[in-house]
Amino acid sequence: MTAHQLTGGVGGRRRLATGIALWVWFGIVVVFLFAPIVTAITYSFNEGVAGKQTSAFTGFTWDWYAHTFSDPTIAQATGTSLIVSFWAALIAVVIGTILGFELVRNPNRTVRRLLAGLTYILLIVPETVLGVSLLLFYTETRIPLDEFTLIAALTPPSISVVAFVIRARVLTLDAGVEDAAADLGAGRLTTLRTVVLPQLGPAIGAAALIAYTFAFDNVVIANFLSTPTVNVLTVYLYGTLQYGATPAVYATATLIFVFTVVALGIAALLLRTALRVGRRDAADA
Amino acid sequence: MRRTGDHVLAAIPLAWLAVLFLVPLGFTLVYSFGTSGFGTVQLGFSLDNYIQALGPLYLETFLRTLGFAVGSSLLCLVLAYPIAYAIARRSGRFKVVAFALILLPYLASLLIRVMSWQILLAQGGPLEKILRAIGVLHSPITILDSLPAVIIGTIAVYLPIAIIALAVVLDRIPPEVVEASQDLGASPTATFWTVIFPLSRPGIATAALLTAVPMLGELVIPVLLGGNKGLFLSQAISTQYVQSQNYALGSAMVVLLVLAVAVIVALLVRLTRGFEGTAG
Amino acid sequence: MSTSAPRSVDSSLISRRTVLGAAALTPIAAFLAACSSTGSSGTASAKLTGQLNIYTWPDYFSDKDLAAYAKKYGVTPKISTYTDNNTLFTKLNSAAGAGYDIVVPSSSWIKQISDKGLLEELDLDRFNLKNLDQSLLNRNYDPHNKYSIPKDWGLLGVVYDPDAVGGEIKTWQDFFDAGAKSGASGRIRMTSAAEETVGPALWVQGKDWNTKKIADIQGTEDFLTTFAKHVKTFSAFDPNALKSGAIVMAQANQAAARNAILLNPKLKWVVPGPTSELWVDSFSIAKGAPDVERAYEFLKYQLTPTVQVNETVYLGYPASLNGLRDKLPSNVKESDLIFGGPDVDFDKLTSFIVNPDTYPTFQDIQNKVQAAAGA
Repeated sequence: MTAHQLTGGVGGRRRLATGIALWVWFGIVVVFLFAPIVTAITYSFNEGVAGKQTSAFTGFTWDWYAHTFSDPTIAQATGTSLIVSFWAALIAVVIGTILGFELVRNPNRTVRRLLAGLTYILLIVPETVLGVSLLLFYTETRIPLDEFTLIAALTPPSISVVAFVIRARVLTLDAGVEDAAADLGAGRLTTLRTVVLPQLGPAIGAAALIAYTFAFDNVVIANFLSTPTVNVLTVYLYGTLQYGATPAVYATATLIFVFTVVALGIAALLLRTALRVGRRDAADA
Repeated sequence: MRRTGDHVLAAIPLAWLAVLFLVPLGFTLVYSFGTSGFGTVQLGFSLDNYIQALGPLYLETFLRTLGFAVGSSLLCLVLAYPIAYAIARRSGRFKVVAFALILLPYLASLLIRVMSWQILLAQGGPLEKILRAIGVLHSPITILDSLPAVIIGTIAVYLPIAIIALAVVLDRIPPEVVEASQDLGASPTATFWTVIFPLSRPGIATAALLTAVPMLGELVIPVLLGGNKGLFLSQAISTQYVQSQNYALGSAMVVLLVLAVAVIVALLVRLTRGFEGTAG
Repeated sequence: MSTSAPRSVDSSLISRRTVLGAAALTPIAAFLAACSSTGSSGTASAKLTGQLNIYTWPDYFSDKDLAAYAKKYGVTPKISTYTDNNTLFTKLNSAAGAGYDIVVPSSSWIKQISDKGLLEELDLDRFNLKNLDQSLLNRNYDPHNKYSIPKDWGLLGVVYDPDAVGGEIKTWQDFFDAGAKSGASGRIRMTSAAEETVGPALWVQGKDWNTKKIADIQGTEDFLTTFAKHVKTFSAFDPNALKSGAIVMAQANQAAARNAILLNPKLKWVVPGPTSELWVDSFSIAKGAPDVERAYEFLKYQLTPTVQVNETVYLGYPASLNGLRDKLPSNVKESDLIFGGPDVDFDKLTSFIVNPDTYPTFQDIQNKVQAAAGA
């Protein structure tokens, strides 16, 4: 379905050239994006020197994968990271989607501007500041730190990114449909749920992925808000970097990567099957 | 349409962010006028921190970081636009696979990706070996621990975000609009510049913001790929908080940063007019 | 610099605690506190007892010894890691510091952390100090080991490629001279620790890095910012870079240098004169540790001779055991280097002690040097 589509229409040959150029470029970028992944996976099998990773491949070994499971620090931090970033992403998607929608559709211009200002500042403030000021805040208010305080602290940067992605999408939606729903007596909450959300699907999916990785990859905020019992992987990783990381962290990252990809793949398949079944049921009815 | 729920929606993010963001940020504002001890702040009203923060070192640092962020962000946009365009023009399974290919690398830990660039770009590392093997290169590469390495790493990290932000908008441009333009005799180039590009402005503005602004605060990549040289803003601020334990000066630098970026973003929004839907 | 100005206390300044205490009464804070205490956090302090929480440097205990400890005492320590002492201090000095049993501060920060009341006084009768290297005890950063027991120690030195550098490095002056020459310029690694950048510049001038004279510290700025352009990186030490030749001269501790020399035997290691740094990473018990008994139990375990030998082999840093050199297994390569090499004169080494009055000046210069290096 690729070739004849490209050649069809006006200016066939030129469009073909453009099409090929675009996909060659696409290929180059994919290689560029995958280069570090391939490197990480390859070097998770590197023996290294004196237990540290090196840019020279010194020998093949499976040992680091065994180490990943036997090292209590890595195992425990990985578990916490997965849980914490899941919840942080969930909260960020819900709140960020509402924020992104309101940035465009709130009926009150002042409220819109207020929200826009807030979203920009969210994006601007360096994470160190967020981390330290939240730590001071929790200290002064004597709120004990736990998983929830870390999850909550990880949401603001993700919320702003989700909001921007959602807003870009909402801007392209036809406001008339929502107005019609409102005219028919639907409240704004109802309109959001029944009219807007279905159209936002793919954007929310992409935003959720970004929110999750933002939370998972966060070093700075997590560094300040981790506690004796709540440790995340990135803080450990960043620490080892200063003194030479072991190839075991590459093995851990590889496992997490594979796990995430497989989990998402299964989720996508289930979703698709469910949608198909739903559609068939609807057609049968 | 003045019903209950009108303000409930806006109130949810406002309340959440007020507690987790505005109140702590308020601390920062208050601290910025205080006098710093070592890991403590004596509250008061003094402009000393601001005077110090506006000194040549931090001003230079700000300008350097700004130049880096704007430059890298532009590069990111230029590289991302064709990809987003190519993806958005397709449909069905092909598009899903293309999207997945762009997003997949994003699922690997950021730190590991940056660490892997460290390995890739190292002198005598894999990239050098490959380039030598295919005969492109005859001398060692000394790119690691320099600005180009930082830019490569930064682009690699932010490119997927730019592509998504652009594709989400390009995807929504109805094919009929493009066809109509072509039916009226416009060349593909003319169609692109007169129809597609203007319609993608919200995506461009979003992509610019989502890359340039976080780049201003980038901490990890310059340290790992740039040899920790040429002080970046986030590092300068971080040093005040963590190393020097000078919360007051660090806070003043943050307040100035927020103000400066607010002005720049406001200008950007005006110039690109990419946010017409919200500004009005 | 504001840090050099005498800090006059203005009577109109309100104490931070009072104002923020008032802030704590605001509805939002009260709301959040209520939310949080209804959550799972209510059990946080109860959860902590019966386990051991260690806050330490990454990969700073051998897995095998931790596993053996867990097997023997039925407790698997929970380990959190920090990147530098500054982070340790920031955390202990805040809400996030609650719940740690054992921390591992360096000699440079023990005084500062204990002065803030963040460490427990140790009951030395519980340890067999006679087993330990006596020269590591009762040092100036912690007289009578009130708050700390030495874990392991290291030196600040230089590892270099004599061919590229054009000769032997004996002093810090040699280091700076060689760095400015074409063979090494642009291929040097320095540390990002401010005192390890400024210190050598002070030593070259015959000054003490624990000086209280801020002018002396500032006196190194011009020299260091000029030298900065020769520096390739202030990032983590990468032994491989010294093999590939990307770096030909690096500030490093002896364990890092040993890794590089194992990769590239033509490299040389020196602790330059007239003086250099001796740091001692130490065990301390955090103030209000949930389980002090278990903390002592763990420390005693760590200080047993067999464990100390294992840890030394694992880390490449010498543990504090007396006569350790003769107890190391014979298959350890370059074991001399673990102890800093044969030529180190320990009487000439000094330990840095963080002084809140001067420390920000060190950091300020470090910032300027790193900025100048990238320009």
